[in-house]
Amino acid sequence: MISRRALEIAAAVLTGIFGVVVVVSSFDNGIGWSSAGVDAGTFPFLTGIIIVLGSLYNLGQGALGRGTLAIVRVAVTPSELRRLAGLFVPAAIFVAVIPMIGMYLASAAYVFAVLALPKRQSVLRALVIAAATPLALYVVFERMFQVSLPHGALAAAFGF
Amino acid sequence: MENLQSLLHGFTIAVTVPHLTLMVIGVLLGILVGVLPGLGAPNGVSLLLPLTFGMQPVSAIILLSSMYWGALFGGSVTSILFNIPGEPSSVATTFDGYPMARDGRPTTALATAFGSAAFGALVGVILITFLASWVAQVALAFGPPEYFAVYFLAFASFVGMGGAAPIKTVVALAIGFAIAAIGIDTVSGSVRLTMGIDELVKGVSFVVAVMGLFGIGELLIAVEEEFSARAVSSRVDWKEVFRALGRLPHHGIALLRSAAIGCWMGITPGGPTAASFMSYGIAKRFSSNGARFGTGEAEGIVAPETADHAAGTSALLPMLSLGIPGSATAAVMMGGLMIWGLNPGPMLFVDQKDFVWGLIASMYVGNIVAVALVLLTVPVFAALMRIPFAVIAPLIVIICVVGAYSVSNSYLDVVLMLGFGVVGYLFKKLHYPLAPLVLAIVIGDKAEDAFRQAMLMSKGSLGIFFANGLVTTLVLAGMALLLLPLALQIVRLLRKPDVSAQEKVRII
Repeated sequence: MISRRALEIAAAVLTGIFGVVVVVSSFDNGIGWSSAGVDAGTFPFLTGIIIVLGSLYNLGQGALGRGTLAIVRVAVTPSELRRLAGLFVPAAIFVAVIPMIGMYLASAAYVFAVLALPKRQSVLRALVIAAATPLALYVVFERMFQVSLPHGALAAAFGF
Repeated sequence: MENLQSLLHGFTIAVTVPHLTLMVIGVLLGILVGVLPGLGAPNGVSLLLPLTFGMQPVSAIILLSSMYWGALFGGSVTSILFNIPGEPSSVATTFDGYPMARDGRPTTALATAFGSAAFGALVGVILITFLASWVAQVALAFGPPEYFAVYFLAFASFVGMGGAAPIKTVVALAIGFAIAAIGIDTVSGSVRLTMGIDELVKGVSFVVAVMGLFGIGELLIAVEEEFSARAVSSRVDWKEVFRALGRLPHHGIALLRSAAIGCWMGITPGGPTAASFMSYGIAKRFSSNGARFGTGEAEGIVAPETADHAAGTSALLPMLSLGIPGSATAAVMMGGLMIWGLNPGPMLFVDQKDFVWGLIASMYVGNIVAVALVLLTVPVFAALMRIPFAVIAPLIVIICVVGAYSVSNSYLDVVLMLGFGVVGYLFKKLHYPLAPLVLAIVIGDKAEDAFRQAMLMSKGSLGIFFANGLVTTLVLAGMALLLLPLALQIVRLLRKPDVSAQEKVRII
């Protein structure tokens, strides 16, 4: 279970870190006014400061349990968390293996795994959908619009 | 009257069997690239360009512009059905289109969107027909300060309209600006905020951010809520298409206002994206149903769609009359014009009357062809909503991944897209508004460039934003829109101290 308080704090910390990174890297570009007009780092610097200040405020509100969502105590229940992971983890694995086995194999495997393993669809239907997906991608992207999708290290090893 | 005669002559060129066939082909291809995120009108137009070299210039431009209309219509389809905007300009359509489709009314949502889009396009073409020369002058009056003022106006009309906590809105907006700044700075040429990652030099594409924030983010929210789309009746409901179209005149004021905003933003090169956001913001503020916006209001679909297409159409005018391409698609088309041996610019209207008026006439006919074809496809697209969620969810993930990759053939974009998905889920869950974030990503860097160029011109004096009537009016209008909700809030607080706490609003 994840409490709303923890989630608020996590979000505020994340945006705060992003703000700090923006501020720090904007120093490289110069801040203020020079012979070339407003320096390139000025706007990122200002937005970074705003992000940091806003995040601090949100952090305080979240930690004290105030703000618009104060009545909601629990943000994510365990069963909700399981369902979230059920969607996100396979998707993340799918993205992770693309550089190795390529878009076509990865998408076929992903569709098959997501449909057949939890027994959401019959194995035959899952196989058909898993085969049709990369085929459709190939025809539309590679053939019709000549956008090359990643073929992966595996295909490169076989000389494609 | 001279224009009218030229137009009639143009119709004799456009309404011939070969040209009508070309329009149908162009529109169908356009719908296809519009529906697929990652592919857009620029892809389609550049693909067809080599095929047009052997054609008459009029036939060639008819094919390409029909494709452009088809892509404009197609971009709204995925926005409404899956909350994935195919084009930047259809982001605002998701705010009400997606809730309506989820509510079991995808046919109504699609028909409303296409109907109002057709109206917007029609107004845009009429404007081109009669005001071509005047419009060209307006566009010429636009320098950096005016550009900045237009973007400021778009921001002002949109910011502060959602129901989110003010500080969360400010943080979301600032993050959007920071993301827009990543990559090469166009004014100084220096590289910004790449944090040492070379691939970030090209910047973070809007498409990547939006597919993560809206597509994957919405998917995560949906599985968490054990979402299943409200049962859509299984038979093809043609009557509903016409019923939705018949209800459009009830939104007459919204249609006219949005068309006016769209045309204005199309001519002043604010572009379709800024136009649709601005139109939505203003509609929410001034409509009697404003409070229900974001829950599937028809008017919330009418406003952005009308403005988007009015702007998209009238944006072709600067290309023809001045030789300034208003968008990536227009730039590719202009390349085509030169290859066919024509010179875009003021002389085109004098030298190539047949070409110009044939094109303008084809805009009328092409839009009618496009809306007829696209309405025919409504039941097909609406049927997509009947596919079980367990099957459609992985397919949406694949579409988002392929779309993010094909923007610039970069694997990093795919990873970023997934990251944006997590951020989108987190923000939605905690009521951080996504719309200001996206608006800032799309036009943030352009607004910044315009501001800094204006500052260069004036050597640092803010007085340049009040230097002439045009820019002063724009800036003052923006400030009024920005301060209006604040003033209303204060008035409301003075009258009834406790009413605002009870309002239940959807965060957009």
